[in-house]
Amino acid sequence: MLLGRDVLDQQVIDVAGHEMGKVDGVGLELRDGEPARVAFIVIGGTTLLWRIHAGLARWAERRLGGEGHRARIPWQQVLKIGVDVKVDVKAERSRALHWERWARHVIRRIPGS
Amino acid sequence: MSAAREVRLERLLGKLVVDAAGVPVGRIEELEAEPAGDAYLVTHAHLGPESHVARLLAFGHQLPTLRTLGIGRKPRMRRVPWAWLDLSDPERPRLRRSVLEDS
Amino acid sequence: MSKLLEIALGVVTGIGGFLEAGSLATAAQAGAAFGFRLVWALALGTVCLAFMVEMAGRLASVSHHTLPDAMRERFGIRFFLVPLVTVALVSFLVLASEIGGVCLALQFATGVPLRWWVAPVILGLWLFLWKGTFGMVEKGASLLGLVTIAFVVGALKLGPSPAELAAGLLPSLPGHDPAKYWFIAVSIVGASVSPYLFYFYSAGAVEDGWDESYLGINRIVAGGGMAFGGGIAAAVLVCAAMVLHSGGIQVDRYEQIPMILSSPLGRWGFRLFVASLAIGCFGAALEIALALAYLVAQGLGWRWGESLQPRQAARFALVYTLALPLAGLVIVTGIDPLKLTIFSMALTALSLPVTVVPLLVLMNDPQYLGDHTNGWLGNAAVLAVSVVACVVALVAIPLQIFGG
Repeated sequence: MLLGRDVLDQQVIDVAGHEMGKVDGVGLELRDGEPARVAFIVIGGTTLLWRIHAGLARWAERRLGGEGHRARIPWQQVLKIGVDVKVDVKAERSRALHWERWARHVIRRIPGS
Repeated sequence: MSAAREVRLERLLGKLVVDAAGVPVGRIEELEAEPAGDAYLVTHAHLGPESHVARLLAFGHQLPTLRTLGIGRKPRMRRVPWAWLDLSDPERPRLRRSVLEDS
Repeated sequence: MSKLLEIALGVVTGIGGFLEAGSLATAAQAGAAFGFRLVWALALGTVCLAFMVEMAGRLASVSHHTLPDAMRERFGIRFFLVPLVTVALVSFLVLASEIGGVCLALQFATGVPLRWWVAPVILGLWLFLWKGTFGMVEKGASLLGLVTIAFVVGALKLGPSPAELAAGLLPSLPGHDPAKYWFIAVSIVGASVSPYLFYFYSAGAVEDGWDESYLGINRIVAGGGMAFGGGIAAAVLVCAAMVLHSGGIQVDRYEQIPMILSSPLGRWGFRLFVASLAIGCFGAALEIALALAYLVAQGLGWRWGESLQPRQAARFALVYTLALPLAGLVIVTGIDPLKLTIFSMALTALSLPVTVVPLLVLMNDPQYLGDHTNGWLGNAAVLAVSVVACVVALVAIPLQIFGG
């Protein structure tokens, strides 16, 4: 499996079949004297900023006091990697959908939503 | 108990790898992982050209029309065992060997 | 729905949905200024469009990815940002011109100045997207858009010489005003090969659940729909050539354009022109607003879908909800809608390689297309047209701005 091609930037789908976001980052666990393990995937937050411009990302994290609203999904909860990445998570509960929930709150006032 | 550190794949990609003698070897283009029981272990790193021009030409190589016209060069990729990488400074990955050791 | 019906509907939708502010304005200008001499640009643009729409459909059917989704996955966020920002900006300007087109049609119909129509038109567009489904947008506006066949009727009535028309299919150098000639030529290509069309088409293929069994349908719908649609734009050019060019009338102000239909078809010609402009631009505005939302939502992995309720895809809905009034603001500033339209078409041509190159890389990647990667002809034709259009635009646009 090639991590860049098969995991990074792939669409993440939750248990209900709904889109959760893209794999914005992949966390590797380095252990001395042992091979590195694929530990988790990251959705959202400042993760994308790090790939666009490191200085911008650092500034954003200083202002936010952290990585922003991001979801870390442990690798054990990744069920399948194929057309997309299926995870054993309920998107609705996840921080990955924080901004979706905010947007929902904004448009809730508009009739017919 | 071995100490564990966290490093992000997306921040490794594109970083220039330098060998033990300080010679640039290439930029990290990909990481290969294999399943081992429940987990996935990183086995290799793919290193591509260091210059951005070469990387751009590699892009052109993917278009058959440009290939036929002779524009775009197949990039020279090196497949390096993960154990050879020293990531004590993730911003400046190093190879634990010197490339002159391999011919 | 039987496959035959789907094909028929798809082709008809392609025809009815083809003509909008860009193709209408560029074809009319071309006919008025250069007679039939620019038919080749229209033919070239249409052929390139047909190839690219087919590619977008094939990508969606085989890989089950929409175009923005596949671009983000294949190229990563850094490279994806380039087409994202470029296409978003250019499409935004085109959206503004379509809104301007609808308002203009309403001005023709009622006499009320077009700036007053911006708010109601934006509201109408937004309501359609908010409450409507994908089917309604794709088929509704396009079926109504069949009114644009009036131009074909008008062109036939004007009786162009087939020999002269055929001569226009061969690229020729202009006898006069070369800067304007090449500027209009690239604008025609930009009007034909609008990126928002591929984003809309690939999203539609995924929303409609197309798979490999649809590849044949895709080819016919893309080829047939676009080719016949291009025929309508050609009819506009013919009408303009016969009515305006022969009379030595240049199209500089939009008030002149309805003549091209009212001359052959009388009072009904005027009404059909207004209806064509209004419906064509309205439909295009819907598609562009959606295409913008698809581009952002699919690139960033948000939940998306026109057939979903807005609260089920809230960020997606927010994109078009914000894009529409912002685009409307551009028209409210009083900018000439004709100039904006032609200029945004030229910009589209200039930015073509940014859309085309990633698409071609994907279309040649067996990881996405399996056994259905591109043939050499599609690759070469599309690459050639977009590179040439970009280069010519690079020269022609500044010349037009600083020379005209």
